[in-house]
Amino acid sequence: MNSEDKLKVLKEILLTEEREFDKNLLLKIDELTKEHDQLNKSISPLMEERLQAFIEEIPKTLGPTIIKTLKNEIIKSQDAVAEALYPVMGKMIKKYIQVEIKKLNDNINSKLKSSFSLSSIFKNSKTQPTGASILKEEYKGSVEHVMVIEKGSGLLKANFAKTQNIDQDMMAGMITAIKSFAEDAFAKQKVELERIDYELYTIHLQNFSKYYIAVVVSGIYDDEFKDKLEDVLLDFAQFVLNQDDLENKENFKRKLKAYFTDERI
Amino acid sequence: MNVSKKIVLLGHFGVGKSSLLRRFVENTFSENYTVTIGVHIMKKEVAFDNGRISLIIWDVEGTDDFTKYRSSYFIGSECFVYIFDATRAITFSDLKYNLSHLNERFPNTPVHVVGNKVDLVDEKELLKNLEAQEIKHNYLSSAKTGKNVELLFQDIAAQLLANEQ
Repeated sequence: MNSEDKLKVLKEILLTEEREFDKNLLLKIDELTKEHDQLNKSISPLMEERLQAFIEEIPKTLGPTIIKTLKNEIIKSQDAVAEALYPVMGKMIKKYIQVEIKKLNDNINSKLKSSFSLSSIFKNSKTQPTGASILKEEYKGSVEHVMVIEKGSGLLKANFAKTQNIDQDMMAGMITAIKSFAEDAFAKQKVELERIDYELYTIHLQNFSKYYIAVVVSGIYDDEFKDKLEDVLLDFAQFVLNQDDLENKENFKRKLKAYFTDERI
Repeated sequence: MNVSKKIVLLGHFGVGKSSLLRRFVENTFSENYTVTIGVHIMKKEVAFDNGRISLIIWDVEGTDDFTKYRSSYFIGSECFVYIFDATRAITFSDLKYNLSHLNERFPNTPVHVVGNKVDLVDEKELLKNLEAQEIKHNYLSSAKTGKNVELLFQDIAAQLLANEQ
């Protein structure tokens, strides 16, 4: 028997108790694991059932409270909600109309395509400037004057004009009076005046919650220009204008001047 | 401080609303009567030691039936000036009714009552007449002579500026 064998025998003699303890411990762990699994099997469906019941109960128990709280908050901040929603709703409506018009346009184009010969299409596709396109470029719409006017009172909140001709406050008042008159006249239809044509000028009116923006345009005010102007005004109302501007006339004026550049429209 | 405020002039036909306004803004007067159709807007800036106020004055067309007034013209007004003709009792006999109608619609807007054309009447007689009918007025004015016109608008402007501060 060498020294290694001797050591082995000695270990067996000395560690018999510890081995027994380890064995018992392992058995205990095994037992506990089995118990846990059994418990898990019986509890899990119960918990799942309770959880499902809780989810189903949420609309009944918390629903009325949540709706009531939301309603109260909306009532308390009606103006702010309307102010925030106006540009967003405007864009959604505009987008919808654009999609519908595009559909109509595609429809017309496809009908035209089927009606004409290839040669005539080729002839039409030449990119020579036409008289109409030259005229359009020459007389393209240009913003002359932008006024932000308080609804109802007609008080001018801010304005930006390339040239100053008449008193801006009186002009804002008169536009409001015309607008009120027209809207009263068609009160049953609940419509808002959107445009006033005045010889070589068009006054584009874009309505918001507390105010409206009147833009005096010279040159051709066609659908393309109107479309672009509407986008610029909606973006201005949504991203540039804030409540403080309506109170601070001078600062508001500076913002208007900086925003309504020829490049933007 | 520099603020803008809207004022509305109202009353029966031909009581001198436009004449009062022209006297105040342009310091002129004409004997020729011109009818206001719809609304006419004028502006005048009034300066005080503590600030300036731009009065945006809406001169609305006259009417004998106040219920037919286009109320959208009145929205946002800080003050109403109700004008009657001191020479025509019909223009102030329904004053109380008209004021209560106005107050129902715009309960928070003050009204200044002005008897115009006092240069054409005996003022003592007029006061007796008004008192007999329990008609309260704030000013007796004349667009022709300018009597109390400046005072009327100055007082209104001062009041509006004070409200602002």
